[in-house]
Amino acid sequence: MARESLLIATLVELADNLVDDFDVIDVLTLLSLRCVDAIDVDAAGVMLASPGGELQFIASSSESMRVLELLQIQADEGPCVDCFKSGTAIINHELVEPDQRWPNFAPRAIALGFHSVHCLPMRLRGRTIGALNFFRKEKGLLDDEDVVLAQGLADVATIAILQHRTSLDAKTLNTQLSIALDSRIIIEQAKGKVAQATGTGMDDAFNRLRSHARNHNMGLTSVATMVVEGSLSGTNLDVPGPAKRH
Amino acid sequence: MSVPLAAQRRLRIVASDRLLAIFTLLSQREGTRPRAGSLCAVAAEFTNLSGAGIALVSTGRQYTSLCTSNTVARKLMDLEFTVSEGPCVDACLSEFAIDEADLIAANDRRWVAYAPSATDAGAHAVFGFPVRIGAIRLGALSLYRDRPGPLNPSQLSDAYLMASVIGRAVLAMQAGAPPEMLAIELEREATFDFSVHQAAGMVAVQGSMTVGDALVALRAHAFATNTALSELAVRVVIRQTSFDPNFGAWRDNGVALTE
Repeated sequence: MARESLLIATLVELADNLVDDFDVIDVLTLLSLRCVDAIDVDAAGVMLASPGGELQFIASSSESMRVLELLQIQADEGPCVDCFKSGTAIINHELVEPDQRWPNFAPRAIALGFHSVHCLPMRLRGRTIGALNFFRKEKGLLDDEDVVLAQGLADVATIAILQHRTSLDAKTLNTQLSIALDSRIIIEQAKGKVAQATGTGMDDAFNRLRSHARNHNMGLTSVATMVVEGSLSGTNLDVPGPAKRH
Repeated sequence: MSVPLAAQRRLRIVASDRLLAIFTLLSQREGTRPRAGSLCAVAAEFTNLSGAGIALVSTGRQYTSLCTSNTVARKLMDLEFTVSEGPCVDACLSEFAIDEADLIAANDRRWVAYAPSATDAGAHAVFGFPVRIGAIRLGALSLYRDRPGPLNPSQLSDAYLMASVIGRAVLAMQAGAPPEMLAIELEREATFDFSVHQAAGMVAVQGSMTVGDALVALRAHAFATNTALSELAVRVVIRQTSFDPNFGAWRDNGVALTE
């Protein structure tokens, strides 16, 4: 292999390893910076729920944002905390002093030059896993287009986190996937054998496999494996009672 | 060869940047609801190639198609499963990318059966990337282009990144499914060709052979008659085509076929 292509191969392999163990903080910091570029906000930050349900600071576009995110966690109040707890977006909330909703958070945010806040929940399979925070120095409203864009960015953050979490338990999941694929294939093969042996269709064949498994207190995959391997004939399966249509 | 720390740092930044680009494309297609189909579409778009397909390989070395981004990609995937050769099948077993930058000029000895049919289907250059996480093999990403030519270095590293993202996305979809069951997210959108396995079961009984041998017989017949394996499987399942063991021949609607 030429020196140059060897170098490319090495770099490519390294890039692959980086994904295997990709830096979620790095990616989300980059995303926070993109938010500031893409929409009319001055600072953005990501907070995530720990397995115990506590919010944790993950990434932000600036140091002042980081300070405010940490303050929200310490004081257990602020837009991100509310957004995370309720699972609904907070858009165009103007900060005032004194602020009844967030007495500790609002003055600190105003002192750092921020006058309005927006927060979007990061939702996955019906659960809120974190929130994306935006702060503005101006008082005016975010336009609708920016709100849609912001939700899109929250979705990107959610995908990044899902990818990262999956890496952590990849081994178990892959074993499950592999078993699920294999047993699905075996069941389809068994359906074919039963359908041919009994002159029925695939649905009937499947019902026979299932009722045989149930009657003999066996797993569906075990019955299917026996049929495929030939230790159980397709004609010897229990025939289910009158089919219940649903 | 060791890569200097500065280069590693630079690569890490590039990787984060490109990963973010993939996540953005995915979110545009699916929000945060994982869908198998968008993985193929995003793979083709992100690598700037004509089309993409993803195959999964089970522990029993059975290949199944997860998704394809267009009809050519679908034909290529079907072809690979029929002849058991090609970039995707090879990449499933490989550590590195498999590539054929010019299927016509190469006069391929590696893929004698695959190359001419793939060209007919509309592919001029084909690439396969293993989808794995560490030492775990999941399957492969296959990419094709309707014009000849190699991948440039950034397409190459983008394709590797995409393959890694695919691995995690597939596992993430499977997460939460009951044991021994495929996740709904995978089944609903996927183009899994389970009829091939149903047909193998039927032919096994027709010819009194093992399911494995029946699968080989189906593949051979599909190739000999220039039929897609999935099409032949459907014909077997609806009892249009069958195997007659007495004559060792295939019959279409009861009429013996000569190959």
